Amino acid sequence: MAPSAAAFTAARPLASPTRWLDLGADDRAVWGSCQGSGAEPYDTAVDHVGVGYRCTCPSRKVPCKHAIALLLLWSQDQVPPATPGPAVQTWISRRQPVPSSSSTRANRDDAGDAGDADDAGDSGDAGDSGDGGDGGDANGGGEPTDAADGAGGSGTRPGDDRQSGRSSHVGSGSSSGGAGGADGTGSGGDADGEPPVPEPPTDHDRDTGRDERVEKMMAGLTELDRWLDDRVRTGLADPALARYATWDDLASRLVDAQAGSLANRIRRLAGLVGASPNWHDEVLAELGLLHLLAQAGRRLGELPSSLADSVATSVGWQVRKADVLGGVPDTDDWVVAGRSDQREDRIEVRRHWLRGTTSGRWALVLSFAAYRQSLDTSLVVGTSIHADLHRYPGPALRALVGTRHTDVAEQIFPDSGPVERRGRPPTQSIAEACDEVGRMVAAEPWLERVPTTATAALAQRGDQWFLTDDSGSLALVQPTGPFANRPGPVDGVAALLALSGGHAVELTLEWTPHGVTPLAVHLDDRSVDIGPRADTSFVGAA
Amino acid sequence: MSVEAHWNELVTTALLGTDRRDPPTAEGPLGDLVADALRVDPSSRMLAHVAACTAVRRAGVVPNAPMAPLVPAPDDDRPVCSAAAIDRWHHVTTSWPVLEDEWTLALIENGWRVSSEIVPAMLRRHRRDPVRRARVLVAAGPSGEWLVDHLPDLAPTVSKKTRTSFDPESLGELPPLPIPPELAVLLPRSGAEIGGTIAQGLEDRTLVESHRTVLVNLIARCAPGALVDVADVLDAVDSMSPGRGLASMLADLATTRHRMLDELFS
Repeated sequence: MAPSAAAFTAARPLASPTRWLDLGADDRAVWGSCQGSGAEPYDTAVDHVGVGYRCTCPSRKVPCKHAIALLLLWSQDQVPPATPGPAVQTWISRRQPVPSSSSTRANRDDAGDAGDADDAGDSGDAGDSGDGGDGGDANGGGEPTDAADGAGGSGTRPGDDRQSGRSSHVGSGSSSGGAGGADGTGSGGDADGEPPVPEPPTDHDRDTGRDERVEKMMAGLTELDRWLDDRVRTGLADPALARYATWDDLASRLVDAQAGSLANRIRRLAGLVGASPNWHDEVLAELGLLHLLAQAGRRLGELPSSLADSVATSVGWQVRKADVLGGVPDTDDWVVAGRSDQREDRIEVRRHWLRGTTSGRWALVLSFAAYRQSLDTSLVVGTSIHADLHRYPGPALRALVGTRHTDVAEQIFPDSGPVERRGRPPTQSIAEACDEVGRMVAAEPWLERVPTTATAALAQRGDQWFLTDDSGSLALVQPTGPFANRPGPVDGVAALLALSGGHAVELTLEWTPHGVTPLAVHLDDRSVDIGPRADTSFVGAA
Repeated sequence: MSVEAHWNELVTTALLGTDRRDPPTAEGPLGDLVADALRVDPSSRMLAHVAACTAVRRAGVVPNAPMAPLVPAPDDDRPVCSAAAIDRWHHVTTSWPVLEDEWTLALIENGWRVSSEIVPAMLRRHRRDPVRRARVLVAAGPSGEWLVDHLPDLAPTVSKKTRTSFDPESLGELPPLPIPPELAVLLPRSGAEIGGTIAQGLEDRTLVESHRTVLVNLIARCAPGALVDVADVLDAVDSMSPGRGLASMLADLATTRHRMLDELFS
């Protein structure tokens, strides 16, 4: 039942009666309050007949370690019989009647699905471009999650959508039909509340909503272009650029215009001003790309459909996760080649870069965490999964993991003997890596991050680190400035130095316009994840 | 004019603003790309040039000239410790730091070299502690010093005087841990006796949560051969006993230490 061996290990120390208050069990449920890291104990309950879990901890794991620990205690006869309190009774009553065997099976499936990485990603609204540059807003932590009750315990609720100004829908749509999602009603049901079942919108309502949204977005793009024009007229030396409000006001208006991805991009751009000696160069380039997106966004109908999808996604048009998962799957052995975490405003964004063994295509799987929430840990660098990936519309790198045909845990915890090492992407020279990056950027010039691989050694000039081979060299992202990742590329350099000993090694890299970041070192016997890691004081333990 | 030269012209114009300076004229394919009779005002022309030039520069990313790589770290003939030992180090430093000294000493004593991936973390962890830092450098071998040479932030933060003032003898010795005499007498005893005494104390409440530190110290310093029995006895403490939580925790410590030594002595 535990989603992984690690989850079971995490639960074991909690499977002690001393950690629990108000333990009890009856013929339907087992419950208790576990003293965790928070000030208040976590109220946990498990429906052991219908198979459902409820816990007030912020973890997105389903079941969480508290639920597993509770079941361990119960299985060891350490939970006394009792009458459930009102909260558990209410919860159970909503789960009535006792499901038949077939519905129990369905519940189990639900519980499993809710633990998937994609749900974590979707609880925040990515509003994301193909490069996954824009983290969205995730649910507030501390809400009870109930995997079996809702359509996905970590699905975004409408309330969250209102707060963020965007819906739980992610991705794109386009002038060529455009996916819906304008209404902002997410697919995730509230776990504990009894959400009213809304009337499905009529086609007319959908069309009206979409038309209104398109109108808003077009107005926002026009305003963005006017603002860019002002910046270019008055010059980058204008003191107004140093004021955050100059950028934030525009970003807020773009959010209102439902161009959330552009708003996030504007806020990131604000952080570049004055951050490095050549900030004018970097800001100007980004202003140019914003102009490109604004112009393209206003001409979606004139663009080829694939490009239109890409532009729409990058501007902030959203598509429902269900629509993405309904698309044709890209089935392959996906090597988890690298991972990087980055804080974007109040959200921690985790990027997993996957590479198809057969297709050679890259894919990006995103997950998000607000304060004390957990990031996706189901994809492990250096392993491969045989799975269906569903890509967002257009040539997008971003994808959702659908059906997993193999379990990563089988590779990490094999039952017998070592398994064949599969989690290693093919490698290439630095020049070939540049070619690969160039091809992806040529298709979508607004991409901010692109994955690649290279076999290279470290070199140093002054304080600047480089990767080098016979074909050329690439600068690593500098450890200062807004594009420095936490805990910092210096840690990546330290790990790379230690692992390579100064020799050339196989690497997964993340290219940005500001340099490359090493994400993983692929040694003969294993891969080591050296990508920037989330601040553990911000995200919860997985 | 090359794309780079054109870009530099654009940056200069952008700094001043198109109100003060007209954008440069693009030539060649880039000029064709942005040629647009409808863009009459300088700022629109400028934005089009910047967008096109940025797209071309990024899509046409080329590497810099090859550089001389670093001189590799000196070789070390010692075998690298196992992946399990590395995992154990992570677990020990997170959950049972009292065992870290013993982990490092056992590794050195048994002729292992610490896996390079954790050397930076080990050095950073002990920047202010000359004895432990010296142990890390011994465990890491020549690559440890090589790493410090290239990464100044791994250098010690203690003064040079402090760095050299420690007793070299202390390098190979486990630091003493405070254990009260009534518990210290258990140190040479068998696992069953140690575990039994602790379990009895927990049962009759003569040992309570406030004794946690000294009980941890006792298990961290008792004979390695006693650890399995200590863990078994403590694991068997009645689940309804008030001391069950502390017993489980101490059993975990005993098990962790046993496995740690097993990995490093195998």
